[in-house]
Amino acid sequence: MLAYVVRRLWQFVPTLLGVVLLVFFLFNFVGGDPAYLLAGKISNPAQIENIRRQLGVDQPYAVQLWIFIKQIASGDFGASWSTNERVSEIFATRLGPSLTVLVPLLAISTLLAMAAAMLVAYLRGSLTDRAIMIGCTVGQSISILVYILVFQYVLAYQLGWFPVQGWGVSFAENLLRYSLLAIIVGVAVSLAPDIRLYRSFFLDEINQDYVRTARAKGLSEHRVMWVHVLRNAAIPIVTNILLQLPGLLAGAFLIERFFGIPGIGREVILAVERSDFPIIKAVTIYVAVATMIVNLAADLLYKAIDPRVQLK
Amino acid sequence: MKNRLLFIFLFCAAAHAANGEKILRITFQVAETGFDPVKVHDYYSGTIIEAIFDTLLTYDYLARPAKLVANAAESLPEISADGRTYVFRIRKGIYFADDAAFKGRKRELTALDYAYSFRRFYDPRHRSPYAFLFTGKIIGLDELAEQAKASGSFDYDAPVAGLQTPDRHTLVIRLKQPDLNFSYVLAFPLTGAVAREAVEAYGDESPSHPVGSGPFLLKRYTRSSKIVLAANPGYRGKLWDFAPGDDPRQREIATQMQGKRLPRLDGVEVSIMEETQSRWLAFQRGETDIEYQLWDVAPTYMTDDGKLRPEFVRRGIQLDRTVDPEITYLYFNMQERIGEAANPVGGFSRERIALRRAIAMSYKVDDQIRIIRKGQAVRAEYPVPPGVAGHDPGYRSLIPYDPRAANALLEKFGYRKGPDGYRRQPDGAPLVIRNASTPSERDRQFDELLKRSLDSIGVRLEIQKERFPELLKLEKQCRLMTRMAAWIADYPDGDNFMQLLYGRNINESNNACYRSKEFDRRYEKSRRLADGPERDRLYHEMTRRMEVDTVWLLADSRIRNALQQPHVVGFTKHPVLHAEWLYLDLAPRPGD
Amino acid sequence: MNASPGVWLLAWRRFERDRLGLACLLVVLIYGAVMAAAAAGWIVRDWSEEVAVTYAPPTFLGPEAPLGAPAAAAEAAPQGALEDYGIPDPLADDLAEIARELAGASATETRAATLALGADKWGRDVLKKAVKGTETSLFVGLVAAALAAFLGTLFGALAGYRGGWIDDLFNWLYSVFTSIPYLLLVLAVAAVVNQKGILTVILILGLTGWTGIFRLIRAEYMKHKAREYVLAADAIGASEGRRMFVHILPNVSHVVLVQLSLHVVLFIKSEVILSFLGFGVGVDTVSWGSMLAEAQSELILGKWWQIAAATFAMAVLVTAFSLLTDALRDALDPRLK
Repeated sequence: MLAYVVRRLWQFVPTLLGVVLLVFFLFNFVGGDPAYLLAGKISNPAQIENIRRQLGVDQPYAVQLWIFIKQIASGDFGASWSTNERVSEIFATRLGPSLTVLVPLLAISTLLAMAAAMLVAYLRGSLTDRAIMIGCTVGQSISILVYILVFQYVLAYQLGWFPVQGWGVSFAENLLRYSLLAIIVGVAVSLAPDIRLYRSFFLDEINQDYVRTARAKGLSEHRVMWVHVLRNAAIPIVTNILLQLPGLLAGAFLIERFFGIPGIGREVILAVERSDFPIIKAVTIYVAVATMIVNLAADLLYKAIDPRVQLK
Repeated sequence: MKNRLLFIFLFCAAAHAANGEKILRITFQVAETGFDPVKVHDYYSGTIIEAIFDTLLTYDYLARPAKLVANAAESLPEISADGRTYVFRIRKGIYFADDAAFKGRKRELTALDYAYSFRRFYDPRHRSPYAFLFTGKIIGLDELAEQAKASGSFDYDAPVAGLQTPDRHTLVIRLKQPDLNFSYVLAFPLTGAVAREAVEAYGDESPSHPVGSGPFLLKRYTRSSKIVLAANPGYRGKLWDFAPGDDPRQREIATQMQGKRLPRLDGVEVSIMEETQSRWLAFQRGETDIEYQLWDVAPTYMTDDGKLRPEFVRRGIQLDRTVDPEITYLYFNMQERIGEAANPVGGFSRERIALRRAIAMSYKVDDQIRIIRKGQAVRAEYPVPPGVAGHDPGYRSLIPYDPRAANALLEKFGYRKGPDGYRRQPDGAPLVIRNASTPSERDRQFDELLKRSLDSIGVRLEIQKERFPELLKLEKQCRLMTRMAAWIADYPDGDNFMQLLYGRNINESNNACYRSKEFDRRYEKSRRLADGPERDRLYHEMTRRMEVDTVWLLADSRIRNALQQPHVVGFTKHPVLHAEWLYLDLAPRPGD
Repeated sequence: MNASPGVWLLAWRRFERDRLGLACLLVVLIYGAVMAAAAAGWIVRDWSEEVAVTYAPPTFLGPEAPLGAPAAAAEAAPQGALEDYGIPDPLADDLAEIARELAGASATETRAATLALGADKWGRDVLKKAVKGTETSLFVGLVAAALAAFLGTLFGALAGYRGGWIDDLFNWLYSVFTSIPYLLLVLAVAAVVNQKGILTVILILGLTGWTGIFRLIRAEYMKHKAREYVLAADAIGASEGRRMFVHILPNVSHVVLVQLSLHVVLFIKSEVILSFLGFGVGVDTVSWGSMLAEAQSELILGKWWQIAAATFAMAVLVTAFSLLTDALRDALDPRLK
C-alpha cells in the first residue's frame, strides 16, 4: 500500500510538469501580452519595454520557467499584475465566498438527489420511476445559462424575492441573503444529473448478490435499502463528489459572474480577460494539485473499502 | 415592487444611516483596481482618487464647455511668454488627513508634495499607465528615469531643473517645449498630491491606503465589492460659487446651492455591481441615489424622443442628460502592408480611397445608435465631440449613408463581383476585409452591423477575434486592418482628439497608422494656438483632409443619462469630473 | 469474426420493443433531416434577412412601438452644398456622376411588425434562426463527438492493450488534461487551433472531450486483452493491430456507441457555454448557443422570445437524444436496467 502511495505521489511530478508546460505555453504564445493593457491608452515602445521588464516577461523563457517552478515549490506566486494584490491574499479572500455557495449547494443537492434516487431505485420499472427519470432528462436538457438567466430575471428582477447580485460584509448576510439564489440555481441544475447518476449507483448495489442473499435471509426490504444498499452506494457517491470538487471551485464561474459573488471562479475569468498571468498560474497549479490529491484519495478509499480492488 | 419580503425590507432599512447622516449611495459597473495615482489605469479607481486627493487645478462645476479653475493652487498658473514655464502658488492651510504615517502631527500640503507626486510618474518601478501625461515634457525628469532604469532605483531627491520649489508654497515647472494644454494635465485627478511619508510607510500596500488632502477619505474598503468614503474632517472646505448658464436646470441648481459650504455630504458608499439588472433594480428600489450606467435598459425609462418616461417623472426622479466627451470610430489601416502581406484597404491611390469611401458609405450609423446604443447616442460628424473645446456643431460630414452609391462607386473603380458573389480587387485578387474585435457580446453586435453593411455592397468580411490585451498590442504594431475603436477625452480640449491622426503618434495613439504631410503640417500649427476661430479653421481643414482620405468612419458619441432620486440636490453630470460628490447635497429623505 | 452477430440483432429486437426509444429515434431523425435540409440550402436559406422591425414580438402578442428614434438630425434631408474648406475630394466628380445616374429611384423597405416567433434586434426571424441553429448545433455536436470518440477510443485501445510506457504516456496526457481548469484548457486549445468559425468549436470540444471515453475504453481493453479469444487470435498469428481493432473493437463497440451518444448531448450543451464565453460560431452563422448569448441583453428589456425558441428547440433534441441513449444502453446491456 505504501509503495503504491509513494508511486502515485511520484507520478504527480510529470503531471505537474505537463500542466506547467501547458500553462506556460498558453500564456506566452497565446494569452495575450498584458504589457499593452497595463500601459494604458497612450504608450510608446519604451514604456512597453519597461512594463515587460517590471513584470519579468522580457527574460528568456528558460529563466521564466525556472522562476515559475520555484514559485510552485514555495507556493508564492507574487502579485496580480493588474491590481497588485498578492496572489495568496486573493485566494484567501476569494475562497470564502466560493465555499459559502458551494458547500450548501453540494449538501442540499446531494441529500435531495440521494432521497429521490433511492425512491426511484426502490420503485424501479414503475410509472413513477419512468416519469421522474424523463423529468430529469428534460431538466438536464436545458442549458445552465438559461437557468441562471431566467431565475435571475423572474425571481430577482421581476418578483424581487432575492437581490439580483452582490455580496455583503457579514457571513450571515452573505449566506442568507446573497447566496440563496445562486444556491437554488445550482441545486436546480445539478439535481437532474445527480439523480440519474445516484440511481444507477443504487441499482448497481441492488443487483448485487448480497442483496439477494439478505432478502433470502428474510431481512425487510426497508432494512435492505436503508442500511445495506445506502451504505454501499454512499461510497461511489462520496467519491463522485470528491472528484468533482477541484473542478467545481474554478468552474463555478458562470454562477459567480452572474450573481456577483467574489469567488475564485470569477477571479479566473477576470484574470483571463486581463492576461493576469500570476493568477492564472496560481489557479491552475492549485486546481491541478487538488485534482491529483483528490484522485489519489478516491482510489485509496476504494481500496480500503473493497480489498478485492486491485490498485495497479 | 409590492412583493417585498419583510426581511429584505429590514435589510434595506438597515442600510440607511441610522442617525440621519447624509450618505450618498452609488455603484460602479466595473471593479476598481486600487487608489495609488501612479498605479492605476481605470476610470473607476480614478473617480475615488479624485475625491481623496487634491489636484492643483480643477474644473468649474457649471461652466460648459469645461473651464479650468484653481483648486489647491491659489489661482490659475502664471505662464511665461514662451509657454514653457508655469508658476503655481499653493494655498496655505491645506492639510493631509490624519494618518499614522505622520506620527501624530498635522501635515500641511506643500509644493514639495506636488514635485514628489509628479516624479513618481517617472519611476520605472511604478510602470504608470498615465506616465504619458508627463513623459517628455518636464526638463530633467526623463533623464532621471533613464538613470533609474540603469541603476534600478529612482532618485527622488536629486535636484531637477524642470521641477523647482523656491519656497514651500511655490512650484515652478519648466517644460522642454511650449505646451498650451499643460494646465489640463494638472487638473487630471491622478496628478493629485500624495504625501511621501504615507507612500513610503505603506509601500506595496499604498493602493489600499490612500492618504490625501481632498474632501473625502477612505473609511472602509472591501476589494471589488464595497468602497466607503467619509468626509475628511480636516478638509479646508469650499464655497459653492458657480455662475449658471442659460440652462434652466443649471439655474435651479445655482438657486439651491449658492453660497453653501462644501462638502455637504458626510460620506459616500460605492457598491460594485457588474450586472445592469442589479443596478437598475437597486435604483428603482431606492437603494442607490444616482445611476448613470444604465445604457442597456434605457428604453425602459426613456421615451423615444429623449425624455424621462412619465411614470418616473411622477416619482420625482430627476434626469440629467449629457453627451460624453468621446467618439466611436471605425478606422482603416492606412499603411501599404500589414506584416508581410499587402493591405487591401491602405494607401492613397484613388482605387483605395474609393474602397474605403464605399465601406464608409455602407455603414448605417443610425442603426448603430438605434439598435446597439438603444437610442442613447448622437451621430459624430466631427472628431471633436460636444463639450470639448474646439467642437463645431455646424460641421457636416462629407460622407453620407448611401449603399447604392457605394455599390456604383465600387463598380466604377473595378471592384467586380466574382463567382462567389463577393467583389474582388481591381487586379482580380480576392478582397477580404478583416475586422478585429474581442469575443464579448457587445463586440459581436458591432461585427453583425459591419457584416450587414459590407454584405450590402458585396464585400467579404472576416472577423479576427482576440482578447483585448492582444488586440491592443497588434493595434499598436499597426497589424490590424480595421477595428471599431473609441476615444474618451483625457482633458476637454480638441487637441486630445486631433492627435489621434498625427503622424508622429503612429505606434502610440494613432491607431489608423495614418501619416499625411498635409494633416501633420496643420496639426503642428494648431498646437501653437489656443481654442478660437483660427484653430477652428485648421481643425476644419484637418477633418476634411481625414474625410477625403477616408481614414475613419466616425460613428457616434454616447449620451449619458444620469438618474437621481428626488432627494438628490445640486447634481449635474460634469463632462470631465467623475466625482461630483463635493458639489452636491442630499435633502432629508422621506421617512428620515 | 468474434462478435457474434446475434448480439446486435438481439439488441435491435429489444430496442424495437421500446416504444419510447423508437419515438425518440424518430425525433432525432427528424432533427437530422432538418439539419441536412438546412445545410443543403433547401430551407431557411434566407435566415439572416432582416424582415421585421427590431424586436418584433411574436404574432400572438401583437405589435409594439419601435425603439427610440435617432437623436441626430433627420438622415432623409439631402446633403446641401458642402464647404470644402480648401481640401478637394479626389472622388468628387465620380460621386457627382453616380448621384446623377441614381437620381430618383429609391427602394423603400417595409418591415413586418410581428412574426410567428418574433424577431431579434436586427429584425431577423427567430423561427428561422432556431431552425438554422439546429444545423449548426447538431452538426457541431455530432462531429465533435465523433472526434472525441475517435481520439478516446484510439488512445484507450493503445493504452489499455499495449500497457507499459504507452499506457504511462497516455495516462500522463489524461492527467494533464483533466487537472487543468476547463476554461483554461479551452483557451489553450482555442489558441492552438486558431481556425475560423465552426471548425474552432468542433476542435475545441473534440480535443478537450476525449478524456472520459479514453478512461472507459482503456478499462475495457485491459479487461479484454486477457480473454481467451484474444489469446487464440494471437496464437494463430494475428498482428497486434489486428487484434486491437478487428477482434477486440467490435466487442467494445457498444460502449463506444453509448459514449458517442452521450457526448453528442454534452457537446450540444457545451457549445452554449462556449458561445457565451466568446468562443462560439462567427457572425456568418447562427447556433442555439449564439441565440442564447444574445438573450442576455434582451431579457432585461423584456424580450423573451429568442431565449424561449432556442431553449425549446434544444430541449426537445437533447431530451430525445438522452432518452435514445438510455434506450440504446438498455437494449445493448439489459442487465443495467
